[in-house]
Amino acid sequence: MKQYSDLEYLRLSKGQRFLYKLMAFFMAIPRAIGHFFLNIGVYIKKAAQGVANECKDIVTTFTQGDWKTKTSFVIMGFGNLARGQILRGLLFLLFEVVFIFYMVFTGGYWMSMLPSLGKVGPTSEYNAVLDTYVTAYNDNSFKILLYGVLTIFFIVAFIYTWRVNVEQNKLAEQALRSGKKLKSDKDDLRSMVDEQFYKTLLALPMTGILVFTVMPIVFMVLVAFTNYDGAHNGFSNNLFSWVGLDNFNTLLSWTGGNGGGQSYSATFGEILTWTLIWAFLATFTNYFLGMFVAMMINKKGIRLKKMWRTVLVMTVAIPQFISLLYVSKMFARNGLINLSLLDLGLIKQPLPFWEDPTWARVSVIIINIWVGIPYLMLITTGILMNIPADLYESARIDGANAWQQYRKITLPYMLFITGPYLLTSFTGNMNNFNVIYLLTGGAPTNPAASGAAGSVGYTDLLITWLFKITTGAESQYYLASVVGIMVFVVVAFISLVVYNVLPSIKNEEDYQ
Amino acid sequence: MNEKRHMGLRTLNRVSNTSIYVILTIISVIWLLPFVFITLQSFRVESTYQVGYVIPKQWGLQNYINLWNSDFKRWYINTFIIALASAVLITIIQLCMSYTLSRFRFKMRGPLMRFMLILGMFPGMLTMIILYRVLSDLGLTQANAVPGLILVGVASSGMGYYVSKGFFDTIPKSLDEAARVDGATRFQVLCKIILPLSKPIVIYTILTAFMGPWGDFVFARYVAFGTSAGYNVAVGMYSWLTNDQIARMYTTFCAGGVIVAVPVTILFLCLQKYYVEGVTGGAVKG
Amino acid sequence: MASVKLTKVKKIYDNKVVAVHDFDLDIHDKEFVVFVGPSGCGKSTTLRMIAGLEEISEGTVEIDGEVVNDLQPKDRGIAMVFQNYALYPHMTVYDNIAFSLRLKKVPEDVVYEKVTNAAEILGITEYLMRKPRALSGGQRQRVAIGRAMVRDSKVFLMDEPLSNLDAKLRNQMRAEIILLRQKLDTTFIYVTHDQTEAMTLGDRIVIMKDGYIMQVGTPTEVFEMPSNLFVAEFIGAPKMNVVKTNLVREGDEYFVTPFGAKLPVKGEKGRMLLEKNIPSGEILLGVRPEHIVLAKEGENAIACSLVVNEMMGSELHLHVNTTDGTGLIVRVPTIDLDAQGRNALVGGHDLHITFEGKAMHFFDPATEKNLLV
Repeated sequence: MKQYSDLEYLRLSKGQRFLYKLMAFFMAIPRAIGHFFLNIGVYIKKAAQGVANECKDIVTTFTQGDWKTKTSFVIMGFGNLARGQILRGLLFLLFEVVFIFYMVFTGGYWMSMLPSLGKVGPTSEYNAVLDTYVTAYNDNSFKILLYGVLTIFFIVAFIYTWRVNVEQNKLAEQALRSGKKLKSDKDDLRSMVDEQFYKTLLALPMTGILVFTVMPIVFMVLVAFTNYDGAHNGFSNNLFSWVGLDNFNTLLSWTGGNGGGQSYSATFGEILTWTLIWAFLATFTNYFLGMFVAMMINKKGIRLKKMWRTVLVMTVAIPQFISLLYVSKMFARNGLINLSLLDLGLIKQPLPFWEDPTWARVSVIIINIWVGIPYLMLITTGILMNIPADLYESARIDGANAWQQYRKITLPYMLFITGPYLLTSFTGNMNNFNVIYLLTGGAPTNPAASGAAGSVGYTDLLITWLFKITTGAESQYYLASVVGIMVFVVVAFISLVVYNVLPSIKNEEDYQ
Repeated sequence: MNEKRHMGLRTLNRVSNTSIYVILTIISVIWLLPFVFITLQSFRVESTYQVGYVIPKQWGLQNYINLWNSDFKRWYINTFIIALASAVLITIIQLCMSYTLSRFRFKMRGPLMRFMLILGMFPGMLTMIILYRVLSDLGLTQANAVPGLILVGVASSGMGYYVSKGFFDTIPKSLDEAARVDGATRFQVLCKIILPLSKPIVIYTILTAFMGPWGDFVFARYVAFGTSAGYNVAVGMYSWLTNDQIARMYTTFCAGGVIVAVPVTILFLCLQKYYVEGVTGGAVKG
Repeated sequence: MASVKLTKVKKIYDNKVVAVHDFDLDIHDKEFVVFVGPSGCGKSTTLRMIAGLEEISEGTVEIDGEVVNDLQPKDRGIAMVFQNYALYPHMTVYDNIAFSLRLKKVPEDVVYEKVTNAAEILGITEYLMRKPRALSGGQRQRVAIGRAMVRDSKVFLMDEPLSNLDAKLRNQMRAEIILLRQKLDTTFIYVTHDQTEAMTLGDRIVIMKDGYIMQVGTPTEVFEMPSNLFVAEFIGAPKMNVVKTNLVREGDEYFVTPFGAKLPVKGEKGRMLLEKNIPSGEILLGVRPEHIVLAKEGENAIACSLVVNEMMGSELHLHVNTTDGTGLIVRVPTIDLDAQGRNALVGGHDLHITFEGKAMHFFDPATEKNLLV
């Protein structure tokens, strides 16, 4: 594509400019993606170099270190203890002891079972006391996978700590050699609330995230490579085991109807398409209508601004499950709307709000507007009021009418400021479980996809489908995991493209 | 000529203002009607199922009495405990996180923030299965769901640091520096300088953390499944609207909705100012 | 009451940008040193490294003979005044000033004594119970100084303390800082981008550019003998006129030949050129606007035409163009001209200028270094 210089660009007509920008946008996408992969390459190279440097450093530390340092390679914290840093030394030592005990008594077992995820399933054994056959539970695949992951985390932490321990010896030696004093235990404790305060502050939140977010995600990603489901729960019926990429094949291959007609990939494709359409419409209808309402309330000369706002804000406060469930029932076949319309004789048949696919899809989008506008109104009100008034004044002197002012000032300003918000809002809507599940539960059912796990409906998003898979009768956890990974891939892809492309087309609209 | 144009402008303005009032009134009605309906139906005595009219033919408190005699009390207390605990603990965790990421420049800061951004792209629902199993191993499911829900809700709340970090970023760094030169440790800077200046964001965080559990549905249902004693209001009241219960419990649901919504809404309206500041700041900072 | 010594101090940011290169400086006890330079020259970074607010990448900072690289700001015995004052918005003026004392657990009656004393000196006693937002810019500045005063610190650091004030207030506060310095009798390090502040306040001035020290010297030294073109142009307002011309040596006599004129370099400067045995050749010739005088037509005079005449009150700033179009600035004291002469100075008027040898500065055109240093 031809690159125009600034002066050449200015000579283009309006349509040409638009085409040019559009082209530039799409041309930038492959470059952004290319950059991303290039960066991965660079990153791997850097990482390899880093590891090499670390190894070299460890070796030199050992060869050049004194006996205290050398001992510390085996007995962690020895150097610290020998040099008077009792607290640090004891912590290192304690960690090592705990680690060794853990590995010897349980960690080793979990690690050894991890490749097979358990060998012996539950068996029936004769119990002489009860004089009957009872089920004896043996290996537990679920626990093996869970504790296996934990053990790997623990090993990584140990290697890191060991490395820190070595590094500390090196630094201590250097400091002593140049005649400096080492930090005493008191210094260490004091620095926990001062220069090292960030470590103290982060300790608790990061532990929480590690245990309750990172670890489960790693676990669930691994589940995608197993056959863990209701029939293989890894404990009381059958063990589960590694199956490689089979589950991805199931979800993505075009062949093979699954009893109920279309293939998994077709079902997946349908749900993904609806998810994207939904996310797009839900985000932008709310955005523009919310902005519209905010502008009406903000308009000079409109009275009772506070009252209008409060009325809308009140609806934000009411827990969503109440409002959504209530509205869902209101529009139901025998709900308030249909019954009253029938009573009034305006319709002969109940309107199929939740029964007809198109009706249902339009209904959820409209009700989502009802849910979302107050929130967007709040957000945009603040930003609208921050647009410098002199921009409008100069536009009016230049002869712009209300619509032109909106097009040329308000909208670009808003888009610039709320760009990142729109992205998070889009991905948030992709995963907007509450609105869909509480309104329709995914209904109406899609008969063509009856073979797929869960009962797939026309308003199902990927996220509600995922939920149905896990809670359904067959509980195909492995499939839920694959769907979850696909959601991640889609979200990450969109974010990556937007992050990389957006700033480049926004350069000319610099308001900062 | 000039006079005429003036008049034109004024009438035009009056017309557009009038139409705005009309639109705003319609919008307000649409937005409020469902809540008016739900309140009216909660006082309906003559039938417990959905009907085609709004104003009760026979008024009474029967639905609220039903509520009192059901498990609703338990659910309400459960939810209240979760909300209260979350409000305290989540606020502490998020403030720690956001203050650190706003004020300290350490080597792992960038990678950490990127890592959390990526983590956030995984659908949280995915982890429900394993979290449920872990909680059940700890004995924190079904009847003991309350501490389990608090634990899970609080543990991963550090990821939601964006809004408060955005606020902290607006407090000039030179205040920290002046205080450090004056002899304050980082801890004292936080307690004596930053926190007193952070009232809006602290209140915002408490408010959102408190309101969250009232609408928490999916995970709560998963964890407490089948044991009414462990339900929160959302899970419990959802069960009233299932096909086999709705005819009996519909108006009771409405009464429950009123009981849940009224205190939360009042609290929210009192602290509205802080909420607005929070969401606006959050959206601008991304 | 302490000396400050910086040895090969370097600041490298994460993105590998070097903000300060090998900074060497000895600041004596009770000295008032000013770091001056254009924005981004590294002066604030250097100050912040001394304060401990910025990590020192390489080199050492010593205060009173002790290396303080690893010390926290509070342990370095410094006090600091920030550009935007950095007053704690939620505390009264009294609490602001008392903050550091209370952290040190000083008894309340001593705190009272010290705070009221400082307030007295700064004339802010009546505002002690106010919050910072109820104060004017000048009053806030005083509070910030008061907060630093009560610390009884060894070194007093000031980071552009006057740049947020309007011109009039700035002059007033400048005088007050000189008074304050006499009262406190301690070491001062002062950062500014304003050369007037630097000249009026500093015992010594450190002129910086792009992270390098360009010159260290007393105000007189840097004004009269700038060691390079940058310093010559940075110090003095309006800035020095610099033209490319030839230095001609005839026997023991030196001449410069700007714009066809031939001006002798007599006196001290001529002698110095001779001592250094500078050969004939192309040079950059610098002359300050105030050292150019109006002259009669002649061999020693340069013909030019007036473009703009700025009336400054006590003096006129004449922007003139020489015959080849080079622009020069000439400062003429108003008192030297009678009304008639003044009225004649309008755009397009032709005039002649000249200057003496002692007003000339010679720079190497390649290195831009002063040839006489």
